Amino acid sequence: MDSDEDDRIPLSQRPEWSDVTPVPQDDGPNPVVPISYSKEFAETMGYVRAVYLADERSHRALQLTAEAIHFNAGNYTVWQFRRLILEALNADLHDELEFVEHLASKNSKNYQLWHHRRWVAEKLGTEAAGRELEFTKKIFVNDAKNYHAWSHRQWVLQTLGGWEDELAYCDELLEDDIFNNSAWNQVSYAVKAILTKPENESSWRYLRGLYKNSMPSFVMDRRVSTVCLTVLTTKANCVFALSLLLDLLSNGFEPNQELKNAVEALLPESRDQDSDMAVTICSVLEIVDPMRVNYWRWRKKSLHSEVEEGVRNLRVH
Amino acid sequence: NELRCSFCQTTIIVYHSGWDRHRFQANATIVGSKKLAIMSDDGDLPWRFSADQGLEDQLFDRDRHIRYLEMNYHLLPSPYEGQEIIRLTLAYFTISGLHILDALDRVDREAVINWVLSLQAHPKNEAELNNGQFYGFHGSRSSQFKSLDNGVSVPNNSHLASTYCALAILKTVGYDFSLIDFSSILKSMKNLQQPDGSFMPIHTGAETDLRFVYCAAVISSLLDDWSGMDKEKAKNYILSCQSYDGGFGLIPGQESHGGATYCAVASLRLMGLIEDDLVSRCTSSSIIDVPLLLDWCLQRQADDGGFQGRPNKISDTVGGVLRILGANNFIDEITLRKFLLTCQSEYGGFSKFPGQLPDPYHSYYGFTAFSMLQETGLNSFNVELGISTVTL
Repeated sequence: MDSDEDDRIPLSQRPEWSDVTPVPQDDGPNPVVPISYSKEFAETMGYVRAVYLADERSHRALQLTAEAIHFNAGNYTVWQFRRLILEALNADLHDELEFVEHLASKNSKNYQLWHHRRWVAEKLGTEAAGRELEFTKKIFVNDAKNYHAWSHRQWVLQTLGGWEDELAYCDELLEDDIFNNSAWNQVSYAVKAILTKPENESSWRYLRGLYKNSMPSFVMDRRVSTVCLTVLTTKANCVFALSLLLDLLSNGFEPNQELKNAVEALLPESRDQDSDMAVTICSVLEIVDPMRVNYWRWRKKSLHSEVEEGVRNLRVH
Repeated sequence: NELRCSFCQTTIIVYHSGWDRHRFQANATIVGSKKLAIMSDDGDLPWRFSADQGLEDQLFDRDRHIRYLEMNYHLLPSPYEGQEIIRLTLAYFTISGLHILDALDRVDREAVINWVLSLQAHPKNEAELNNGQFYGFHGSRSSQFKSLDNGVSVPNNSHLASTYCALAILKTVGYDFSLIDFSSILKSMKNLQQPDGSFMPIHTGAETDLRFVYCAAVISSLLDDWSGMDKEKAKNYILSCQSYDGGFGLIPGQESHGGATYCAVASLRLMGLIEDDLVSRCTSSSIIDVPLLLDWCLQRQADDGGFQGRPNKISDTVGGVLRILGANNFIDEITLRKFLLTCQSEYGGFSKFPGQLPDPYHSYYGFTAFSMLQETGLNSFNVELGISTVTL
């Protein structure tokens, strides 16, 4: 139902509502931040108050909640009442999915809408899984990063099932080729993503995140320093590559000569000073990432204790 | 105070704060057409600036912002009926905003107190208090119902976020909390905490995530009473939301998000589970991965100076996180300020993007950001509580 303002018939003129007296809002004597409600809004809410107070769980009440939601899609009281009515009427929840989908086009970031959708899907059970995943895909077409849609998708998979196809789908979104599962290797995948688009922060963070609980693997895996070196040879000012190298060094990584030479080349004057490689990297970062210059200077100063701790942690393992 | 670029001879004007420039020599290194880093020989803080024009023309227009907030305080235009349900939140942005701008004299304190208190949900008796419902504050008249004498009982729809806003407003206008018994809030707030430690905002059912853990923490902090929440469970939930990249998602397993990160860090700080100024301390003993978090937060400052809420998106709560961690000197404040001013509206207030109309939410965050940037004439802002705690 599209509430086109010109077509809307006031509730007071609708015969099916003639027996109801709307209940006006009582805002008290000196309201703060009062809102200049339109006639249509005030009237709709007046009738909502009437049916809510009478606890009328009827078809006309259901329709009224839809109208109220169109005015204020965040109104959780009305959404909750709608759920009570749907239960009382034993309504066909597939229709409800349609209702939500229709609203979602203009309200895709509305928490109440997504909560309602989850409530409906949960009632429908596992048979709804496919449709829910399709629904989120539709949202991603216009908004690939929609936070609610990703949470919903995660919830569907955890509660209603469907993980088998999920990895393939994520892959489809990230690039066009679909990897063969037997060749799956997350580090290689992340490295490939980095090399394809080194300016994308997310791939770097993902790579780093793979080693979150395993510092020795992080330091030992040559692929990490290699990808940094590869990127730096073509993009000498890549902050993510430099930062990751700094991270490696802070955790006890021992660079080979090729890496040392490459870094020295970024800051020629460091050769004469015989600087520690991590110190040199910090100096380069101060220049190529001037927005965060104070942070890089602080990292440089903290290096001594960082490296000590990194080496200590390695020994513990 | 003028330098010339040795490549293109453009005159560069240098901004700095608090340093005696005669004490050291500057060595300039050019890295791009707009940004320049100047390293000092012996000073700790280098000078930073942008070669863009017009920075000195733009000022924070406090008077205009006050007029904008006063207008909202007296009447919000009809498009705001789409946000009717969160009216109390709009009131919080307005009243707390006026306090930050040091213009709280524009509000009728008594009227505010009475209106806010009129939105409180009260259990009729001890039995009702223990019926599993939450007795806090309603967000607006749209969720507050007075039952008719027809025997039908209406559930109260008081909400955790509205309760936070209500208490924040009352604190802001200097209401004496000892005048009212808020124990029913704390006693019934426990009903909203979930087995995993998260909070649901309303007992009739809603999404549960970090936002409401934060609300519960602030409420407890403002009432100076932690009996309404299980801190240990809340802590575990928060920690389970820290992502592999150091930021926090709204729920476990979700992508790091600026707002969620703020809720997580502020909550931990309010609960006393992390110390302040973490960045200067021995970070390895903290319950959260501070270095990773710090790096993630700092990377959120984009080239235009504004803070993104996630890689490749926008928000401003991350600035608050950095302040809590004790890392605000790592922020490029000049560029941030410049970005914020591009969002300053000619009508007063701030908009989400340059050139758009202002709204209460972005205006409020603009004011808090300028307060943290120590703009003259603004009151200081308590980042964890989300209000100015300057007493009247």
